Amino acid sequence: MVAKGKKASADAVYAKKTVKSSNPFDNSAAQTSKRGQNQNPFDVHVNKEKFKILGRICKHDRGMPGVSRAKALQKRAQTLGQQFAVKHKTNRFKDNRIGKHLSGDQLTESVMNARYLAEKMSQVRSNQKAEKFNLNDDELLTHRGQTLEEIEQYRDERSDDEELDDEALDADFTSAAHFGGDGDTPQDRQSAIDEMIVEQKRRKNEIAKEKDEVYDLTEKLDANYKLLLPLVAKATKDEQDAKPPPDAYDKLLKEMIFEPRGSVTDKLINPEELAKQEAARLEKLENERLRRMRADGEEDEQASISQPKHRSADDLDDGYFMAGGDDLEDDTLAYDLEGNLGTHLNGKKNAQAEENENEEKDDEEGEEEDEEDSDEESDSDVDNLSDLKESESESEAEDTPQVSKKKAKKSTEKFPVSLDTSIPFTIKMPKTYEDFTEFLSKHAAPQKATIIERIIKCNHPKLEGVNRENVVKLYSFLLQYIKDLFEDASEQDIREHFQLLSKFMPHLYELTQLNPERMSNTLLEVIKEKYGEFRKNHKMYPSLDTLVYFKLVANLYSTSDFRHPVVTPCFIFMQHILSRSRVRTRQEISMGLFLVTVVLEFVSQSKRLLPAVFNFLQGILHMSIPKRDVEQLEITPPFERDGPFSKVLALPGNKECTKMEPQQLQAADLVTQTITPDFKVRALDTTLQLIKEALQLVEEHVGACYLAKPFLRLLARLPLESYPDHVHLHHKEATELAEKLAEQKMKPLAPAERKPKALRLLEPRFEAVYDDKRRPKMSKAKEERAKLLHKIKREKKGAIREIRRDTAFVQELKLKHTLQSDKERHEKVKRIYQEASMQQGRAQ
Amino acid sequence: MKRLAGKKDEDIAEPLAKKRLQAKANSLLNAKNVDIKTLEGFVKLLKDSPDNGVPAGEVMNVLEVIFKNLLKRITREGDEKQALKIHKLYEETWLLLRENLLVDSEGAVALKVCMQLIKVEAKHPIAPRKGWPTHRIREILDTLLNSEETPTNALANYGKYCKNLDVLEITLKQILELVPKDDFKDIPVKAMNFLSIVNLLDFGKTVLSTADYHVESAKSHAFNLEQNQKRLNNLWLAIMTKGSEVEEKLHRQILVVLLERVINHLNDPIQLTDFLMDSLHQFDGPIALLALQGIFTLMQKQNITYPDVYEKLYNMFYPRMFFNKYKARLFYLADIFLTSTHLPENLVAAFVKRLARLALQSPTEDAVIMIRFVCNLLLRHTGLQKLIRASHAIDEVSDPYNDSETDPVKSEAINSSLWEITLLQKHVVPEVANAARFINSSLPIMEFDLGPLLDRKECNIFDDELQSKAKQFALNYERPANLALPKNEFVTKYWEFI
Repeated sequence: MVAKGKKASADAVYAKKTVKSSNPFDNSAAQTSKRGQNQNPFDVHVNKEKFKILGRICKHDRGMPGVSRAKALQKRAQTLGQQFAVKHKTNRFKDNRIGKHLSGDQLTESVMNARYLAEKMSQVRSNQKAEKFNLNDDELLTHRGQTLEEIEQYRDERSDDEELDDEALDADFTSAAHFGGDGDTPQDRQSAIDEMIVEQKRRKNEIAKEKDEVYDLTEKLDANYKLLLPLVAKATKDEQDAKPPPDAYDKLLKEMIFEPRGSVTDKLINPEELAKQEAARLEKLENERLRRMRADGEEDEQASISQPKHRSADDLDDGYFMAGGDDLEDDTLAYDLEGNLGTHLNGKKNAQAEENENEEKDDEEGEEEDEEDSDEESDSDVDNLSDLKESESESEAEDTPQVSKKKAKKSTEKFPVSLDTSIPFTIKMPKTYEDFTEFLSKHAAPQKATIIERIIKCNHPKLEGVNRENVVKLYSFLLQYIKDLFEDASEQDIREHFQLLSKFMPHLYELTQLNPERMSNTLLEVIKEKYGEFRKNHKMYPSLDTLVYFKLVANLYSTSDFRHPVVTPCFIFMQHILSRSRVRTRQEISMGLFLVTVVLEFVSQSKRLLPAVFNFLQGILHMSIPKRDVEQLEITPPFERDGPFSKVLALPGNKECTKMEPQQLQAADLVTQTITPDFKVRALDTTLQLIKEALQLVEEHVGACYLAKPFLRLLARLPLESYPDHVHLHHKEATELAEKLAEQKMKPLAPAERKPKALRLLEPRFEAVYDDKRRPKMSKAKEERAKLLHKIKREKKGAIREIRRDTAFVQELKLKHTLQSDKERHEKVKRIYQEASMQQGRAQ
Repeated sequence: MKRLAGKKDEDIAEPLAKKRLQAKANSLLNAKNVDIKTLEGFVKLLKDSPDNGVPAGEVMNVLEVIFKNLLKRITREGDEKQALKIHKLYEETWLLLRENLLVDSEGAVALKVCMQLIKVEAKHPIAPRKGWPTHRIREILDTLLNSEETPTNALANYGKYCKNLDVLEITLKQILELVPKDDFKDIPVKAMNFLSIVNLLDFGKTVLSTADYHVESAKSHAFNLEQNQKRLNNLWLAIMTKGSEVEEKLHRQILVVLLERVINHLNDPIQLTDFLMDSLHQFDGPIALLALQGIFTLMQKQNITYPDVYEKLYNMFYPRMFFNKYKARLFYLADIFLTSTHLPENLVAAFVKRLARLALQSPTEDAVIMIRFVCNLLLRHTGLQKLIRASHAIDEVSDPYNDSETDPVKSEAINSSLWEITLLQKHVVPEVANAARFINSSLPIMEFDLGPLLDRKECNIFDDELQSKAKQFALNYERPANLALPKNEFVTKYWEFI
């Protein structure tokens, strides 16, 4: 029963299969059946095969000898037969046209065109050589001997049905003149003709006159019509206005009318796409940056060390850009595709909106705004500055300056811009540095940035080749200017100088973008020179301008690179300063802290570490710990283990400082020597925060505990009682992080598990298949030759056969001819005999 | 601008003065009878040279030419009266030259003139004396010895002359007689000068094999090494008797002299053991290091045993040592001490861990040395490779290595792993990061040669970095609108600039 059931189901499957095979798409069966229908079964001759051999394709299993013979005959009749027919004839008609064999409906348009073209070509060839290169088709199309142009020229637009009545003689006249007329006879033929001529002339005159009149009238009408036209238009317009508002149907109709019928190939980029392109560009740049960040080969190692991360095919590294994308949307400033400066799109919108507001508020800026579209960028600059200013004023009131800054950014309060219109719009590149400084000194600080911007604009290398040198010169001037600003900065003006630098920053960036190599080399030369000075006495901190150059490098270059021609030397320089220079005064402490912040900025993305930073932070902590004279707390140079300088930052035991507000380090700290209690608090507070930042950066690395542990010892020794609350907070944070890192557990180093090496596989050795044909073994060339000879032999055979058949055909034709002529002759003879016999019969 | 012009004038004036001097000297020498007055004029010129604007160097050069010729002529002609006068002036000149020896800028020229004159005098000795003018050397040494500050310039130049065997021998003889009477601790400057001079006495193989002589005639009197070694021994004894309880700097100098010049020629170096041991135990830092080197020499040559030497060496590696003057020597010594493959693994492991730990705090150039050194140690002691090749089964642990333990054997380093090197791969300086990558692949076959690395300074690394031709100036792709970076800003977060 079960077995039976099984069989039944199997049958069903088979049935299904057969059904499947006869599906409508399987048309091979249909084709064969069609062919079968066309074939006459009596035509088909089947060649029987004795054995079926696998793998052999047999082409001769069936043939149609009758059909193919008929085909061959027909072909011969068309070729050989034709030739035979015109044999020995001298008056042959030779048709050399293209497609001469075609007839009737076979002569298609294309054939005709080909003929026309060939004709043209032969004409061109026969023409003079001078016209060979004439691109203008100067063959004139004519109509009745006049060129079409001429006809167009003299064409009268007016209807010409009047002229239709030709100048033939009218019916009366002709009937009278030609056919003699009826009753009234003319006096004389001569007079009649004269009369006719006169009549004719009069008529012509009349017609001409009438024509002239009509022409004048139409002219007049035309003129009037032109006058009337505006009135008519107005009337129609009013009529349109009066139309009822379009209903849904009308709208739909209009929409359908105006619906684009095809996509434009090079359409305008809409905002979303622009944003998308921008995002793609940034992604590309970011990927490049990441690639540079890794050392050569590091990647492979990491890949081999860590387990290969599972990545699905759909994984498109979205993670990173989801993170970065948000703030991209917010306010990223970036270059667009052509490298023109401009804010990111959304930012642009905002800026424009603000601009509009501004324009409404005061028209003073009007002139400035219509100058260049990038002014909005400078505008946003100004805005940012206003934000910062504001944050400064508010910082005292608020807990964290970070928050206040953000808030300030949102507020749309305007910075009182008093841009002087006295700055010329085009500024020539100053020849010497003295000219440059002189020119800048004439203007107030906020205008200096504008001046720089305009100089860049006027000397953009795109405008002129010479400007390439000019911008390099401008860059070196700016570097020199920065040096002059900061080298001898005093407590009063340092803040101002930093503001100015801040405004220069975007322009310096632009300049660097213009010619990275030249500009970088200029900057590198400056740094080299600074290092040369520093190395002479590495116990002394270099001047402030050197530090400012480092900050410049951080802003301009991709500092995360594994190796970078500008950044890496800076790293070494900074490390050298931090590890060797003596730290004693307020200026030296703040310079060191400044360097530490700059270094952290450098490594913020690459997360690499500079040991000197950690040593320096430890040193500052060490300085803040009050020590008794005898006791020594181990610390590395340049910090001193004992003596008065080992505790310059330590606060006296009293509690006068506990009420201090949180404060950032001040610009003035970089130029002042004396250490005040508020500076002590400030420096320690910043140090604690920086410790946290620095440790956070290296958090993920294996072995971060070694960097964190030394801090713990010092942090524990810090007497917190005399410090304000915010220091307590930061101390706690730093300690917690350091403790967390110090307890890091690590996996002992082990080489990456390598894949087991696969056994060497041997190539399978194929032997030549032995078929039972005994051929002599030959070299390759010989074999080739033998093949060719064989082919020739076969071809020759075929050709001989063809010739033989041709001869047979011709013979047959000849025979037919002879037979036919014999037959004719017979008939003639017969007829003659007949006639002769009849004559004989008559005669008898 | 004005100053510049003035300088130019000086530039022109100098060769003029020189020419005039030379012309005058020529005329003096060409005259048959020596014009004593002119000669006196020259000497006077030298006497108040810094004030009268004539450069002392030129005058000394001219005087050298004059006296060279005159000394020859006197011996030939022998006009007694005139000779006496000339000799008097000659002595006066010597006094002036000795004064000039101590002037920093003129020291080199003065010394050159002195030595040239000695050469001539040796050929044409002045009446009562004969042969080598040893008293001149004594005079020079006396001057150098009694100078207020250490005359580094003159000393360095004198060192060159001391490569000549005759000068060397005479200097040694003279200096023996010139040993200061007082203890070193009372006269630190003089003692320093004395030691510096002793430090010039080089009995090295190169000097002996070249066998140069300052005065040709001295060649006949061959240099007797044994005798001189004896003298050196005596000298050392003198130093030892005087040089007790001296300050650090002098002590260091004594050790340097001992190590560089004396120790190889001592008859009985074992006697040094106490001195070296005391130095080793009482001091740390450079002195201990130098003492250790001395002990090492003793261990090599005299076969003394010093059980704690590795512990001592181990404890010399601490963060402060990167700022020592003799850190290259320390690395060199450590390399030699740890050459033996028969050292216990846990001892070497402790060194490896300590070095790696220190590399995390050290300046760049030392970090490279230490990483290479660690690599060399791993190559020498293949058993240590378990520090980087743990078996896979082990779980995560915190580092068992105890870096405050002074005994290397007890520091548990052998159970640790070299995480420091992995961390160093994240160093910002590419050279260090690349050096630290050695643990990722199979170790190199050959050891690294530390020699060239030991002399490198921070600035060399800077220069190398500038030389590397990776000239792709990758720029920041986000445009800074002001001082702050678009993201990851630190500077404006902690600084209030605007």
